[in-house]
Parts: sequence; structure tokens; C-alpha cells
Amino acid sequence: MARKISMRQAINEALEQEMTRDASVFIMGEDIAGGAGGNGDQDAWGGPMGVTKGLIGKFPGRVLDTPLSESAFIGAAVGAAACGMRPVAELMFLDFMGVCFDQIFNQAAKFKYMFGGHAQTPVVIRGMVGAGFRAAAQHSQMLTPLFTHIPGLKVICPSNAYDAKGLLIQSIRDNDPVIFCEHKNLYGIEADVPVESYTIPFGEANVLRDGKHCTIVSYGLTVGRSMEAAETLAKTGVECEVIDLRTLSPLDWDTVMDSVENTGRLVCVDEANPRCSIASDISARVAQDCFKALKGPIQMVTAPHSPVPFSPVLEDLYVPSAQQIAAAVKKTMAN
Amino acid sequence: MSNAIGIIANPVSARDIRRVIANATALQITDRANIVLRVLSCVKACGVDHVYMMPENGGIRQHVRRGIDRAENQGLKHFPQLEYLDYKISGTVEDTFKGARKMLELGVAAIVVLGGDGTHRAVVTSCGDVPIAGISTGTNNAFPEHREPTITGLAVGLAVTGKVPADVAFLPNKKIVVRVNDQEEIALVDVAVVTERYIGARALWRTETFRELFVTFADPEVIGMSAIAGLLEPVTRLDGHGLHVRLAPEDEAAIMLDTPIAPGYMRGIGIRDFQPMQPGARYRPEISDGSIALDGERELSFSAKDDVTIELVPDAFRTVNVSACMQYAARHGLMRMTKT
Amino acid sequence: MNAAKKSTPGGGIFPLDKPDLLVAYRTMRRIREFEERLHGEFAKGDIPGFVHLYAGEEAAGTGIMMHLKDNDRIASTHRGHGHCIAKGVDTKGMMAEIYGKATGLCKGKGGSMHIADLSKGMMGANGILGAGAPLACGAALAAKFRGDGGVAISFVGDGASNQGTFLESLNLAAIWNLPAIFVVENNGYAESTSRDYAVAVDSYVDRAAGFGLPGVTVDGLDFFAVYEAAGEIIKRAREGGGPALLECKMVRMYGHFEGDQQTYRAPGELDDIRDNKDCIKMFSERVIEAGVVSRAELEAIDREMTAEIDAALAFAKSSPSPTLADLSTDVYVAY
Repeated sequence: MARKISMRQAINEALEQEMTRDASVFIMGEDIAGGAGGNGDQDAWGGPMGVTKGLIGKFPGRVLDTPLSESAFIGAAVGAAACGMRPVAELMFLDFMGVCFDQIFNQAAKFKYMFGGHAQTPVVIRGMVGAGFRAAAQHSQMLTPLFTHIPGLKVICPSNAYDAKGLLIQSIRDNDPVIFCEHKNLYGIEADVPVESYTIPFGEANVLRDGKHCTIVSYGLTVGRSMEAAETLAKTGVECEVIDLRTLSPLDWDTVMDSVENTGRLVCVDEANPRCSIASDISARVAQDCFKALKGPIQMVTAPHSPVPFSPVLEDLYVPSAQQIAAAVKKTMAN
Repeated sequence: MSNAIGIIANPVSARDIRRVIANATALQITDRANIVLRVLSCVKACGVDHVYMMPENGGIRQHVRRGIDRAENQGLKHFPQLEYLDYKISGTVEDTFKGARKMLELGVAAIVVLGGDGTHRAVVTSCGDVPIAGISTGTNNAFPEHREPTITGLAVGLAVTGKVPADVAFLPNKKIVVRVNDQEEIALVDVAVVTERYIGARALWRTETFRELFVTFADPEVIGMSAIAGLLEPVTRLDGHGLHVRLAPEDEAAIMLDTPIAPGYMRGIGIRDFQPMQPGARYRPEISDGSIALDGERELSFSAKDDVTIELVPDAFRTVNVSACMQYAARHGLMRMTKT
Repeated sequence: MNAAKKSTPGGGIFPLDKPDLLVAYRTMRRIREFEERLHGEFAKGDIPGFVHLYAGEEAAGTGIMMHLKDNDRIASTHRGHGHCIAKGVDTKGMMAEIYGKATGLCKGKGGSMHIADLSKGMMGANGILGAGAPLACGAALAAKFRGDGGVAISFVGDGASNQGTFLESLNLAAIWNLPAIFVVENNGYAESTSRDYAVAVDSYVDRAAGFGLPGVTVDGLDFFAVYEAAGEIIKRAREGGGPALLECKMVRMYGHFEGDQQTYRAPGELDDIRDNKDCIKMFSERVIEAGVVSRAELEAIDREMTAEIDAALAFAKSSPSPTLADLSTDVYVAY
């Protein structure tokens, strides 16, 4: 049975269902209950965006508020995972990776390989990504390319509530470290989400719209904007195939390349900065492997190569828009 | 004779296992350095211009240096000239032995000691007839009296500058000499014979291994091994005798005594008997194998083939009588200033 | 090693009975033999990469690890061979790993700095200084969740004690009352730089006190001092008494890494270490003098260890190298 709930509720439900199913799952992070040690409500915040609200009441002792000490608690999540637990650690804003990245890319990501396959590290690091929240340069980045670059990490970025629930449950059950990127401007958006537990496999992109003229590949917030551009273009007779990658590492190359083989044109939409991005990565691979199928130059629509600005006017210009995406499609169609 | 003084500050006292088993104090390095700075400014105020210090690499030196540099930057003149003795630091008790010996050679008028019973014992081993003034920064601190180091610094300053006469300023003390064959060691407060042969973590806390106890004085207001004696039969630092206590398992004990043998660490101790320890008499341990703890730390191990004797020696070394110095200073107006 | 543990039965001469004394000696000799052979083999140019030797520090690792079981975890350092051996890891697999062979504990993918054997509770040597402390917190957290009485030990050098990860971990362990123990192996040098220069207040007990943890300093060259203090600290942690710090003052017999000319040392310093600060020699003299163990018994162990390391070296040298097929296994590959 499905009903409309927000991405915030879908994530909460995924955590609750997995904690109920598996006693080795626990969650930790700054303010994820938010009332630890105070004299007020123990569940005061439920995370800064209320994503984990209500869980501490259901799972006392398994919802751990942490000190503002990311190296220690992210490292502790990694250590606990290496010892048989399945921690889900919330890093609040994934920009904070700057102070604890060692524990993820030098430790968690490498254990399995360095230790000859004798270790597994089933830890999920979840947190917010993306601009549009007026949160400025250190709380708004789309750092997905940074994580995707690291062998051993799996990187997930859902675009809607349904995918968020299925992908998060899969992430918790996965035996590798997963960076689960939640776009903060999607938390309130509702979708039909089944009540029961379900998983979405990694490495399976979602084709949201069929089209024969051009392939648009995106993930996260810009999936919706890609769809908007496609609907607009359809009125002019240009039919776009829109692919939501959902998981960036692993990435569903087959679906992307099959689509380009059919359409002959590719627009990559990525909220990250352009250099060494998801967009440039896909563009390079498609240019290498589907060169003969291409009928026009690949287009990339990304944020500019600048930090995220604060001013609402500037920030709105920063994130790729439906208009920019439509213009990129027209540009590749013009050839 | 110069009125220069020496300071020996142990950076590693109060660091043993009793932090874990007994919540004992762990006085921080910066606190020890601040005590040194307080003593320096007090002895300077009494007219001492030169102070020698034992070198160490436990962090006290750097902090003291910073304190003096800051005062100099601000144009303040309240510290005497400080000179570190020049020798290679070993990081062991050898540094204390060497420091005390050098201070004796340099003719210092007194040595201020920061440490616990073990540190004071090490200084007395090597400082000859130079009087010492103790500041407790250790764990049990039965030997050094508890008071604000400012006052200890003032008393030392008044004593070494002759403002308080020597017959008032200094007190004689007893010690115990332990000989194992040709090796000779001393204790200022207590000698415990225990069955453990290894030195290990040094501190004493396993009461089941205790066999005999010899003390120079027995004060019910201190903790540690000497507390056993203190709670049985108080003996002052000035009495001519000490106390010898024989311990026993509970079923053989004449008395069970509830004793703080480490900070906050109360244990029942079985007592077989106790009697005054007479000066000059040579006592021998009743067990043939074990180790001897001097002032609460296992230092010597022995077996049946060793000849072990334990002897109380009166009038063995001198301490600064801080209380008498300050009383004298008050009665004779030594701290009164001329109006400017 | 899982020597059955006796916590000082009423008034023996040593805190361990004779079989355990021999276990302790065997472990220390095994480490020394392993490291001295590596020293020789490295000089011949047969060993690739960086090798950091534990020789001279054996009493600490052995005195601590004799209190541990396989479900107790340790997070080691770059100088990890001794920790591995004391935790019961097989010397053949270690040697082959250091030679980069397919038969190594980690199939030749980790090397000296990443030797791990999770089945023995050894969570890995670590090339990132201070990184093990948060991992140990996680292992301790896992033990606490499981309620199995397990403890986790983080080893750190005097150099890495300046890392934020280490200090953050002291805080985390304190607030969560984790069965985590922080061992500072203070050998006086952070690589080449003296601790007198690099550590603001050279007292690790003070650092622990800053977080409300009890700290103890012992002579790390004295096996019995380490054994006794570690025993009390570990027992306390198992019983729920919480974290503590143990500083072992010790010496390094060789350089930071093999090939280090050690010109930062004072003239005569190394001779003094060899002649007067050899922890194994100190142990031997003590137990022989006490008449508990004969010199002949110890010499028999010496011969046994020489033969064991001979066999480990022969195994490593004759083992096959990994092949191209091994390059991308033990990490998920989706590119």
C-alpha cells in the first residue's frame, strides 16, 4: 500500500524499518535526537531538519547524539562497522566531510582492499548536499564527485521520496561504506511511497521519460528540472529521454550508453562544480565508447566553478535551471 | 655561605596505577610549573637572588621559562635568576639523585622539593646536610606537609637569608636505612616488606601481599602504608623511636584495621602485633623472598641468599620548619614594610 | 595471544606463573627476531616500501596484549608488527605480506603499514597517524552494544598524540564511558622530531585528565610494570569502569623507518639503548635471577623463534606474487 509522504518521512521510515529488522543497526550524529543531557525534550530536534524525529522514543539506546566531533564519531561508526555493527552516521551537512574525510577515504573505503578482502565495513554516512537553502559556501556544496572518485565508496543521491526509502534500506544492508547524499531542497517534496519495506538495487538508473532525440542524464535535485525542461521541449516536438542515475558509484553505464546509442545526443546535468564532475565523467566515457552514435557535441550543464554564493539572487543563478537544460538540448540538436 | 637555593620538581610523580584503582590526584604539569613560579617569587621577595633547578623533560621547564619570559617582557623583576643544572636528562630517578648531589656541591642553602614521598626520599639520599622543604605533588604525600606553596616559599626565603635563626628554622628528621648485602637505600616514612618479588608498577595496593611495616613516624592524618601505623599507635616526627608492625592474614590477626592505604582506598588490614622500632637496632624481614617498598614504592627485591637489614637512624637530615618560620616572622615583624 | 590470565594470586613472586612468563618471553622474542630479521633483509634491498620496526618496544605490546582475547580489538599504528604478533597473528602470513606476496595476510595488497587480522581482533596497522583512536572507539562501542565484555585498545605514539582524532576520541570515549583504552607509546621521537619540541605539555596523563580520564605512566621497558598497570586498566574497562590512558615510556632501537640514518639522536644514544634499555634483557635477568626460569629454557625459546622466523622468511620468499587478476578484486568495481 502506498501513500504520499515526503522524502524526510521516507528516510525516517527506512531507518525505523531497518532498526526494527536488524538489531545491529544503530544511528548516530549531531543532534539526531537533539536533547541529550538537557532538561527538556529528549527528542528536541530529531536532526536539524527533523529527519530522525521520533526514533529515539522507539529505539532508546540506539539513537546516539554525538558531540561536535566529526573525526571521532564518524571514525567510531567506521570502527563499529568493522566490528560487525551496521551504523548509520549522520554528518548533517556533507560539507563537514572536510574535518573527517580521513576516516572515510583512508580508512573505511580501503579496509576491504588493504586487508585482502578479509574485512567489510557496512557503514552508511548520510547527510545533506546541494544549494538553494541560503546556507552559503560551507553548507551547500554538491560534493558527489569527490566521493565518487574514491574506490571502495558507494555514492547514492536520490531525487525523490520513493527512491530515498528503497535506496537507504539497500545502503544499510550493503556491506560496503555508503555515502548517502540527501538534497536538502527535496526533504519536503512528497511522492507515493509504499508502507512496507523494499530495496532499490545499486547501479540501476531510472528512466523517467522515453525520447528519441536527446538523452538527459542527471541525479538529485536537477532530475526534476531536467523533467521540466523535457516537458517544455516536447511542446516543440523535441522528445528527450530523461535518466535519473540514483546511484553514482556504482553507476549504470549500460542504461546511459544504450540511451545515447538510440538518441545520438547527450546532455549531462550536474549540480556539482564542472571540473572532474559526474557530468564530465559521463561525457568522457560516452565520448570514448559511443563516439560513432553521437550526432552532436555532448553538453554539460553544471554549477559554475565557484563556491556557492550566499545572496539569494546569486544562488538561484548558481544551480542549473530548466531553462539552461533546455538551451543545452537545443544546442546539441542544432548540430 | 650563599643564600642560593635549589628546586627539584619531579614531573612524573602522581602518575602511577593509583589514578585508576583509587581516583588519586594527577596534578598537572602546568600546576607544578605554576607552583615553581610562586616559590620563585616568594624567595625573591625574601632576598634570594639565585636559584638552581633540576633539568627535566617532562614539560615543567618550558612552562616556567614562558612564565619568566612574560614577566621580563612586562618589565617585572619579581623572579630571581634561574639556572638549570647542566647534565644529561635520563628521565629516571637518577636525575633527582644527580640534581641533589650537584646542589650540595654548589652549596645551596636549601632545596625545595616538589613531589611525593618517593621524590623526597630520592633528594634526601643525595643532598647530605642541605635542609629540604617539601611541597606535596605526589600521591600519598605522607612526608611533605600540605600547605599552599607560597608559604613554603616564604619560609624557605626567610630561613636561608638568616632572617629566621637556624635553630628555629630547621628540624632534624629520622630515616630508615635498608641494606641488601652491599646495597643501601633509605626511606623517610615507611618500609614495607611484601611477598611480591617483582617491582612492576611500583605502587603498593594489594594488601594480601603485605607482611611487615617499619615507620619513622606514625601519623593518623596521612594515607598509605604509614597510615596503618598511624591508626595503631601515633608516633611523632620528633619522637626518638619509630614503629614496627607485623601483618597477618585475617584468621591469624589480633586486630583488623580499616585503613586508607591509597587515596580514598579503604582496606581491611590484619595486624599480628606492633612495637616501637628502636634506633640503632637491626631488624631482618621474616620472609625469605619478596621485595621491599620504600615510602610506598617497591624498590628492592630479595631472596633467601640475600642479607637484608632494616635500621632506624635518628637526626639523619634536616627540613625547613615552615610553621616555626612563619610564627617567628609574625612575632618578630619580619614581613612589616617601611611606608613609601 | 590468549594466555589464561591470573590477576596476582595471593603473594606470588611474579604476577604470572611460570608458563605465562614463558609465553611472555616467547612473544617478546618472536617480535624481536621478526624485526631484526626484517632489518637485515631490508638492508639487502629485498623488501619493498616503508618498514617501521617495533624492536625495543616489545615489553609494552606484550604486557598489554597478554590480557586480551580474540574478541578484544586493537587499532594499531604504522609501527604495527609487534602489536600483530602480540595479538596472536601468524608470522608467516605477516612476513609474506611485508614481501608483497599473494600468500600474505592481506594478499599483498596492504603491506607492512596495513597488516590486519580481524579474526584475531587486530584491526590493522595504520598509515595515518592518530587514525586508529576513533576506530577503537567504534570497536568499543560495538562491544558495549553486544555486552560481551570486550575492550578496544588504541595505540598511538607520542607524535600522533597531537592529532585531533586522538583528542576527540578521548572526549568521545569519556562521554560514552566506552571500554576503550588509549595507550601512548612514548618513544621520544615523532619520526625524527623530539617530543620535547613537539608536545606542549609532555604528559599524557595531563591530556587524559583534561577529558576526565584517569591516566597512568609506566616504564614501558619493564614488562611487569606494563603488565600490572594494563591488567588493572583493562579489568576496569571490562567491568564498565570506562576508558583510561596508559603511557608507556620506551625506546626505539632502530630508526623511524628502515634506512633512517638517525642523525637526530645524540652521540652514544643508540649504544645506551642497546646496552642499558633492552626490555627483553631486563625481563630475562629478572626471571633468571629469581630462579623461576633457567637461562637454558630461555635459550631454547630463542632457538625456537629463530627457526620460526627462518621458516616465515623462506615461506615469504618462495611464495608467488599476486597477478594482474588480483589488481581489482576485493573492491567493488563498476567502472
